[in-house]
Amino acid sequence: MKKRARSLGAVILVTGLVALAGCSAAESGGDDDGSVTITIGNLPSTEQAASRDAILAQIKAFQKKYPDITVEAEETYWDPATFNAMVAGGTMPTVLTVPMTEIQSLGQRGQIADISAEVEASETLSALNPTIMTTVTGPEDEIFGVPINVYSQGLMFNRAIFEEAGLDPDAPPTTWAEVASAAKTITDKTGVPGLVLMTSGNLGGWTLTGMTYAFGDLMETSEDGTPVANVDNDSAIAALEFIQDARWKDNSLGANFIMTSDDSRNEFGAGRAGIVISGTDLYGDSVVNRGMDPQDFGLAPMPQAEGGLGALGGGNVQVVSATASAEQRDAATKWIDFAQIARFTDEDQAVAAAKAESADGLPVGAPGLPLVGADLFAQYNEWIAPYVNVPTENFELYASTVETIPLVPEPSQHAQELYAALDPVVQAVLTREDADIRALLGDVQTQMETLLAD
Amino acid sequence: MAPAPRATGPLRRWFTGGGAAALAFSLPMILAFGFFSWWPILNSLILSFQQTNLVDPAVWVGLSNFAAVFADPLVAKAAMNTLWFTVLSVAVGFPLPILLAVAIGELRRTRSIASGFAYLPVIIPPVVSVLIFKQFYDPSSTGLLNTLLAGVGLGPVPWLQTAATVMPSIVIQATWAGFGAATIIYIAALAAVSPELYEAAELDGASIRSRIWHVTLPQMRSVMLIMLLLQIIGAFQVFTEPFVMTRGGPENNTLTILMLIYNYTFISGDYGRAAALSLILAAILALVSLLYLRATRGWSQGK
Repeated sequence: MKKRARSLGAVILVTGLVALAGCSAAESGGDDDGSVTITIGNLPSTEQAASRDAILAQIKAFQKKYPDITVEAEETYWDPATFNAMVAGGTMPTVLTVPMTEIQSLGQRGQIADISAEVEASETLSALNPTIMTTVTGPEDEIFGVPINVYSQGLMFNRAIFEEAGLDPDAPPTTWAEVASAAKTITDKTGVPGLVLMTSGNLGGWTLTGMTYAFGDLMETSEDGTPVANVDNDSAIAALEFIQDARWKDNSLGANFIMTSDDSRNEFGAGRAGIVISGTDLYGDSVVNRGMDPQDFGLAPMPQAEGGLGALGGGNVQVVSATASAEQRDAATKWIDFAQIARFTDEDQAVAAAKAESADGLPVGAPGLPLVGADLFAQYNEWIAPYVNVPTENFELYASTVETIPLVPEPSQHAQELYAALDPVVQAVLTREDADIRALLGDVQTQMETLLAD
Repeated sequence: MAPAPRATGPLRRWFTGGGAAALAFSLPMILAFGFFSWWPILNSLILSFQQTNLVDPAVWVGLSNFAAVFADPLVAKAAMNTLWFTVLSVAVGFPLPILLAVAIGELRRTRSIASGFAYLPVIIPPVVSVLIFKQFYDPSSTGLLNTLLAGVGLGPVPWLQTAATVMPSIVIQATWAGFGAATIIYIAALAAVSPELYEAAELDGASIRSRIWHVTLPQMRSVMLIMLLLQIIGAFQVFTEPFVMTRGGPENNTLTILMLIYNYTFISGDYGRAAALSLILAAILALVSLLYLRATRGWSQGK
């Protein structure tokens, strides 16, 4: 009667592939004559013709500059469900773009290469924004990748719904009390849930962790370099009490409390959510994939309570395969530098990329954090200004706080397990009026102590 | 390829009896099964005693993966949830197709249309039907099912939002998506029941109810027993429905054993522990099947 699940098979398949890994992982990319071949993932499909052509043109230019390096591009993307098989089968491209939130676990598991030597040897890469680099730096100062776009967690809101509720979309909430009252006003006036929280697929834990930072505490602290679980802290309690009140006193969080990232994006894109807590990459997804009117997309920084630590960072990172040879690691780092970072110092590259993205209908100038110093970033923004196709005037508040609200990295150890353990806590507070916040956090604290002691 | 000339006895008889040809013909299948089924199964057995990151050579860790599984408080929770799902889905999903098949069997002209309709949900890809139900289960008063319920003065039901309602909601979807396949099998089994038995029963003046009770059900006994076992095994392996509908929530109330295996693999990257739990599940299912077949052997042979 039940549709048989395939997961057991997936596990078995992965293990089967371990055997195959032996055959292909030994493959060497370097040849005796000093030439080296690398593969790069994330080649845009033919649907995004201009961006695809731009990458292919970049490859040509790169190979001209480095005649010994051959770059082969493929349409491989990060997908947690296929990544393991790719690693086991030795088919992971030399360079792949991976969400920042996965970097620490992949790196500490040894599934991606430590490229600290290569990054330090590169003039441009070693000059990247140090705050951002902390997010990809491992516990032993390994560098697990190069960030290529970075954003912070913040409040995304629907400007049209704000107006409908009589709120000023140009003066979004800047404190948690204002978030609560805006959410209540929206619910009361429009019937749309004022604030929609993600609760499952680890996003509930991700959201709560970011809120905890904003209220003033870390989930994992460090004692002499050893991470210590700090889940049952006062800020996490305050954040959950905020959620509890919004849910049970104001009733402004809607009725659905099993919310994956996709669910909340659907709700937000379709105008069925006033505010969501998300990364600013939501802009591209809402406008390009879900048809939201760009003018409706509002963005405010994560409100900081007194003593708030800052905003949780997110973004995308290019990583290098763990099986890459030294020559390949070197070539891969050169490629990342050339293809992703050089645009901040090379006008032609900046313009070419922006032109192609704009031609494909992708957002140019979407809100994010500067990868490079303020001067270089301002210069870069000038270069791409003619191609900017997003209403930047709506993001001014966010842009102006980017410098003042610090970026706080994710917990460095077992972040995904922490998030997974916190999902049920957020769900409990949302679905049970009598949920005991301290007891729930205490359970997760114990779990994390066990995990971190291993 | 010539046989050893001096081979005599069983080997020679096997060869001259066409054994070699049979082997040659089945070789592709043996290789395919060996490579894609048995070899991975053997590997996952090995993996459950190892620690690996899939890049470096695996390290033998003895029974520590099993120890880690038993130390995880979520395993007990997942086991209880899986059991609860199995009980509910068998309680609803086992009798329903039988009743439906018997009812459809009584039809004359519309029988094939009715069985077509019964089978229809099976055609929809599982993830799609789960997503459709996820929409139906919108907990607000404007959700589809809640609007229907409001029409008869009920609800709104929180469906997937509370510990009490979430598993029954998933079982309803799973049953809806799966009953068609079982119904078709029972209809086929019914067709094999000899008409003389019914004629004899009718001549004896048996009512419809006693005909079903004394003829139909006993005749379908062996099919029913196998279907029940398959349903129990399938229910133990439930994954798609809770994964797509609730991700195990709320508060891990729909976290199943297979979802936990998935989480070990894809969230923790702990392949050894995932293999260990898979092995434990496989062992339990094998044991359940063995006991079941033992216990019902006499009955299924009609003794």
